[in-house]
Amino acid sequence: MRRAVTPLLAVTVAMVLADSAVVTLALPDILQNLDATVGQVAWVLIAYNLVLGLAAVPAAMVVERVQPRLFTAGGITVFAAASAWCAVAGSIEVLVAARCVQALGGALALVGCLEQLVATRGERRGVATWVTAGVVGTAAGPVAGGLLTQAISWQAIFVVQVPFAVLAVPASLVVRAASARTRDRHRPAVRANLTLALMSAALTAALFLVVLLLVEGWGRSPATAAVTVSVVAVAAVAAPWLSRPFRPPHQVEVAVGCFLVAGGLAALAILPSSDLAWTIAPQVLVGLGLGLTVDRLTTQALHLRLPRARHAGWTIGARHLGVVVGLAILTPVFTGDLQDAQRPAEEAITALVIDAPLQPQDKIAVAKALGSALADQRGQVPDLAPAFATLDVDSADRPALTALQRRLDDQLERAANRAFRDSFLVGAALALAALLTLVRPPARRAS
Amino acid sequence: MSAVPRWIGLPVAAVAMVAGTLTVQVTHGGGSYEPLRPAAACAERPATSRASGIEGLTERLVLIGLADAACTLGVGREELTLQLARSGDPTDAQVDALRRGLRSAVRQMKADGTLPRASELVDEVIDEADLNGLVKRLIRALPASLVDKALKTDDVLYRTIDDLDLREVLENLDDSSSLDAQVEPVVTQAVKDSLKARLRDLV
Repeated sequence: MRRAVTPLLAVTVAMVLADSAVVTLALPDILQNLDATVGQVAWVLIAYNLVLGLAAVPAAMVVERVQPRLFTAGGITVFAAASAWCAVAGSIEVLVAARCVQALGGALALVGCLEQLVATRGERRGVATWVTAGVVGTAAGPVAGGLLTQAISWQAIFVVQVPFAVLAVPASLVVRAASARTRDRHRPAVRANLTLALMSAALTAALFLVVLLLVEGWGRSPATAAVTVSVVAVAAVAAPWLSRPFRPPHQVEVAVGCFLVAGGLAALAILPSSDLAWTIAPQVLVGLGLGLTVDRLTTQALHLRLPRARHAGWTIGARHLGVVVGLAILTPVFTGDLQDAQRPAEEAITALVIDAPLQPQDKIAVAKALGSALADQRGQVPDLAPAFATLDVDSADRPALTALQRRLDDQLERAANRAFRDSFLVGAALALAALLTLVRPPARRAS
Repeated sequence: MSAVPRWIGLPVAAVAMVAGTLTVQVTHGGGSYEPLRPAAACAERPATSRASGIEGLTERLVLIGLADAACTLGVGREELTLQLARSGDPTDAQVDALRRGLRSAVRQMKADGTLPRASELVDEVIDEADLNGLVKRLIRALPASLVDKALKTDDVLYRTIDDLDLREVLENLDDSSSLDAQVEPVVTQAVKDSLKARLRDLV
C-alpha cells in the first residue's frame, strides 16, 4: 500500500484540479440532457471553481489543527460522494449543488494531500509532486472529459472519479503526517498569487473557449475536440524541456510564459479558417505558457513559506478565483458576441439561399426548413444538418443542395469564429496583465 | 563588455514563435475569416433562375423586384427578406415598395430584352388554365405573331402586379396550392383585361 500512496495522492490532486475544467466538453450534453440554458450550465463550472477558491484557505487553517490523515481522508470521501451525486443529478440545480459539495471536499483533499505528500516524499519532492499533479490535472481535464463524454456520457466523467477517490482514502490514512500547526510566519506571496490568478483567468479563455468553439461553433464531436485540445496538455508537459537549455531566471521564465499565452490567445482570435490544423500552433503557444508559469508561480508562492498548507491554500484560491473572474468576464462577452453574430450570419445565409442554383420551390422549402432550425437555436450555433435532411429535391438538384449546405455551414463557422474573437482577445489582455504584475517598481534609493 | 546572458534565448525564441504564428495566420486570411457581408442596399444583384417558363420569369421578377424594393426602403435585400419572412403583417411602405419594385422589374426586363413574348408562355398558361379542350386547341392553333400582337407580356404583368394582394401572396409563399389559387384568377383577369384593352385600341 505504501508504494501506491504517492501515485494515489497525486491522482487525487490531479482529479480535483482537473474537475475545474473537466466538464467543459460535456456542457452541450448537460445543457440538452438537463434542459438548461447556457447561463445555467456555466454555473456547473463557476460553482466548482468559486467554492474551491473560497474554501482552500479556511481548509488549510483547519488542517493545521487536526490530524492531516483524517482530514485528507474526510476530504477525499466527501469529494467521492459528491462526484457520485453529480453523476445521478436529475436537474441542473442539483448538479450545481453537488458540484459545490464536490469542490468543498476537493479543497480539503488538496491541502491534506500536500501535507501527506510532504510527509511521504520530503519537503521539496512532496511539493514538486503536488504542483506537477496540479498542472497535469488542469491541462488534461478537458481532454479526459471530452473523451468520456463521447465514449460513454457526461455522467461517466463523475463516475470514473469515484473508484480512484475510494482507493485514495486508505492511502491517505497510511501516512502519519505530523500536525502542521505553526505560527503565521510568512505573509502570502501577493505578487506570485496575483500573477497566478490573472494567468488562470487567461487560461480559462484557452481551455474553456477553445473547446466551446470546436464543439458548438464548428460542430466537431467532443472526442475530436478532446484530441485537439490535448495539444495544450502535451505542450505544457514539454515546456520545461524547452526552457531548460536556456537556464532562465524564474521571473524570466514566468514572463515568457505569460507572453506565450497572450500570443497563443491572440492567434486563436485570428484563425484563418475552421480547419482544426490552424488551432495547433496557437494551442502549442498556450500550452508552453501554461507549463512555464503555473507550476513555477505555485512553487514560488510556496517556497520556504510557513505554514505550508495555508500558502498552498492561497495558491488554490488565486487559481480558482482567477478562473471564476475569467468566466465572469468572458461569458458575457462571448454570449453577447454570439448574439451579435446572429444577424450577419442570418443575412449571409439568406443571400446564399436566394442566389443558390436551385429551383424556386426548393429555395422556398430550404428557407422554411432553415427558418425552423434558426428559431430552435436557443442561443446556440444552430445545426443545419437536420433541416437539410428533411428536404426532398430532385436528384439533379442534390449536388447544388449539398453545396449550399456546405456554404451555409461555412458561414455559421465564420460567424462562430467572429463571435469568439473578442473573448480570445480579452484572454490575451489578461495574460498581458499577468505579465505586467512581474514588472518590479525600481527600488527607492536611500537619501 | 559583459557577454549576452544565455537566458536571453528563451524570450527571443518566444517572440519568434508568436510572431511566426501570427504572421502565417494573417498571410492566410486570419482576421478576415468572417461571415459574408451583405451587399449595400442599392448594389446590383444577379437575378438568374434555374427554372424556365413562367416559374423562371416569376423568380427573376421577384429577385429584381425585391432588390428594387430594398433599395427604395434603404435596407439590404437580405434584411428585407428576413423582415418579410418574420413579420406576419408587412407595413404599407414595404408593400408599396414591393409593388413598385415588381413594376420596375418588368420595365427592366423589357428594356434588356429578357421579358419573354406572350407566345412563349401561352402553352404553359393553357395547360394550367381551366378551359375546355376545344378552346385550348383553338388557342394553340393561333400563330405566334397573332398571339404576340394581341397580348403584351408587360401589360399582363403590370395588371397582375397592380391587382395582386401582396400581403396575401407573402402569407401563402410556402403553400403552393393556396398561392396558385390566389394568383391564377388574377392572371386570368389580367389577360382578359389586356385583350379587351387591345380590342378597344383596335376599334
